[in-house]
Amino acid sequence: MNKEYRTKIAFSSMMKRTLPILLALLSTISFAQDWIKTGTGLGVEKVRLAVPDFKPVSSDGVTAALNKVFNDTLWLDLSNAGIFDMVSKSFYPLQAPSQPSEVNAEAWANQPPNAGMLAFGNLDAPSQDIVVQGWLVDVKNPTSPPVLAKQYRDKATPDNARIIAHKFADEIIMRLGGGIPGIAETKLYFVSNRTGNKEIWQMDYDGANQKQLTHLSSITLSPRVSPDNSRVAFTEFGKGGVEIGMYSLDLVRMVTFPHYGGTNSSPAWSSDGQHIAFSSSRSGDPEIYIADNDGRNLKRVTAVKGPDVSPTWNPKTNAQIAWVSGRTGLPQIYIMDTDGTNVQRVTDQGYAVSPSWSPNGQFLAFSWTRHYGPGAPGNQDIYIMDIASKQFVQLTHDSGRNDFPTWSPDGRHIAFQSDRNGRWQIYTMLADGTNQADLTKSGENTQPNWSSK
Amino acid sequence: MASTDIYAERDPLSTPLGLSVALHGMLFASILIYGAVIGHTGEGWGGDITGGEAMSANLVSNIPLPRPQVNTDNIVANESKGLTQSPPKAVEEPKPDAIPIPEKTIKKPPKPIISRVTPPKPVEPPPNVVPFGQGGPVSGPYGSFSVPNAKGGFGFTGSGGDFGSRYAWYVRQVQQKVSQNWLQYEIDPNVGNAHRVYITFDIDRSGRPSNVQVEQSSGVPSLDISAVRALQRIDTFGPLPGDYGGSRVSVEFWFDYRR
Repeated sequence: MNKEYRTKIAFSSMMKRTLPILLALLSTISFAQDWIKTGTGLGVEKVRLAVPDFKPVSSDGVTAALNKVFNDTLWLDLSNAGIFDMVSKSFYPLQAPSQPSEVNAEAWANQPPNAGMLAFGNLDAPSQDIVVQGWLVDVKNPTSPPVLAKQYRDKATPDNARIIAHKFADEIIMRLGGGIPGIAETKLYFVSNRTGNKEIWQMDYDGANQKQLTHLSSITLSPRVSPDNSRVAFTEFGKGGVEIGMYSLDLVRMVTFPHYGGTNSSPAWSSDGQHIAFSSSRSGDPEIYIADNDGRNLKRVTAVKGPDVSPTWNPKTNAQIAWVSGRTGLPQIYIMDTDGTNVQRVTDQGYAVSPSWSPNGQFLAFSWTRHYGPGAPGNQDIYIMDIASKQFVQLTHDSGRNDFPTWSPDGRHIAFQSDRNGRWQIYTMLADGTNQADLTKSGENTQPNWSSK
Repeated sequence: MASTDIYAERDPLSTPLGLSVALHGMLFASILIYGAVIGHTGEGWGGDITGGEAMSANLVSNIPLPRPQVNTDNIVANESKGLTQSPPKAVEEPKPDAIPIPEKTIKKPPKPIISRVTPPKPVEPPPNVVPFGQGGPVSGPYGSFSVPNAKGGFGFTGSGGDFGSRYAWYVRQVQQKVSQNWLQYEIDPNVGNAHRVYITFDIDRSGRPSNVQVEQSSGVPSLDISAVRALQRIDTFGPLPGDYGGSRVSVEFWFDYRR
């Protein structure tokens, strides 16, 4: 403050002397720069978000049914996002706004709702279409313009109502969550045996719309979707042996991928979609190989005796691979550069498998049995480790066996498989271990993989 | 026989003694005279009293202490209108006209004209009043928080623009994201409390931070570097609000570290 004050005094005295020149100069100077000043330690509380039900414009049954689907989906998406403190619906004022003019900002900003942001709108279903208008306003600063004002229109089906809710929720999450897109439209790919055979299935990130992709009537494992959502690579137990299979989501059928001989498994896409890493035992001992996304230019990357499987790329740089190696006996997790150099060991004991690298490149999630072996009763749990500092956090506790973690593209959620209820099912949780919920119920469902957009 | 008898010949002592006493006496006298009469160079003990640097204690009846700090509502440091408003003036209700003594012709008393000045709705000052004044136009919500290990305040001024008040949600998001990406284990473990480090950077329309600079160092190099790295780790803050006219926003961000 002192600096500014002195500057002001000096400036005013200088002005008297040089006013004419300055006036001439000022006309050429561009307008002032906007400044924000803020700092750390300022209570990183979550945004308190209030989301009253959207108002149906007409009162017929179709609109009401679509409205319910929309409201339920929107609420679930926003409360699962992990970045909001959702204001409980029992605190809302009785008058739910449907237009910006109806918003009584004070009623929402004061106790008991004490909301920071308000998302509201209306839903209409005129003549086979569904039209949704939604707004997001800052009720603590009601004079500032609305953060979001969106309108969506599509054919009137419950699925479309759900998709519109996902889109609106993603917009809110992107605006208030630091520019990271929401995951409401992402998909999970997993293995299910509910048809009798282990096939690759797909579902929405919240467990809806579960549908079967492959119909190979044999065993398929470890699906991995490509970063552009065009193809799913997986391990196929076919007539020609255990090879990498490729299913095209665009063409809705299998496409060819080279067979290498030996046992080829656990494919992993690089985040630019240009390369696939996988484990192959074509040389006798399972080693990690890297090929182009069409299977050509095969390059071997590891060369140490002992099985090397389950590679995963560093999605931020694509310059490192983490994988599981049994070169010292029990499987442990290692990291190396993509040319095979600079091998580092990450876990020091027990039985560690299924590494998954977080989208920001900082963390590895994996499944670890820290005390393994006869007389050492350990549980298989999901852990997260910060690679730079090697500090780790245990995310699941005392809840059956937990394996195969996969990160969501926003880095805030992890899906995994758990047999805590008897059979293996897919679960999802926030990356701090809270909000664990199951997504699948029928059959046995394993090995989830989260799409990247 | 050559023997020399060396006897301590006793010279008469009186003469040299007398001379010695006289000499010493003259010496001392001359020193005293010199000190008393001629030389007064150098400082007397206690310093130069006439210079006025030393405190002199005067007996006063009333001790002028500084006034105790009172939290005033009006914290604007300059002429410009701030977010807070001074409390509204109390409404003076004018006395209704006195009813005249009724005469034969009873005049209806004129209806008292009460000009009711409705006070403007008092704008509640934001719940967190800024503890320190920032010179310049006040144009946004201020906040001060204290969490267990650190305290800080933030204020944002827009000179020419009022980004902070219009898009408070964006500022909060910037602050959250930087705080989340600040890895405190990168700081030298021997550091206890450190001064604040101020980092400035720009955010362009796509939300990408650029031009990261240390505006004021904390004096601890590892703290400065960890703050810069926090910014470098961030790809985007999210696009600037669509209806914001400028092409970029500058941010001054401070990091408080308390072990």
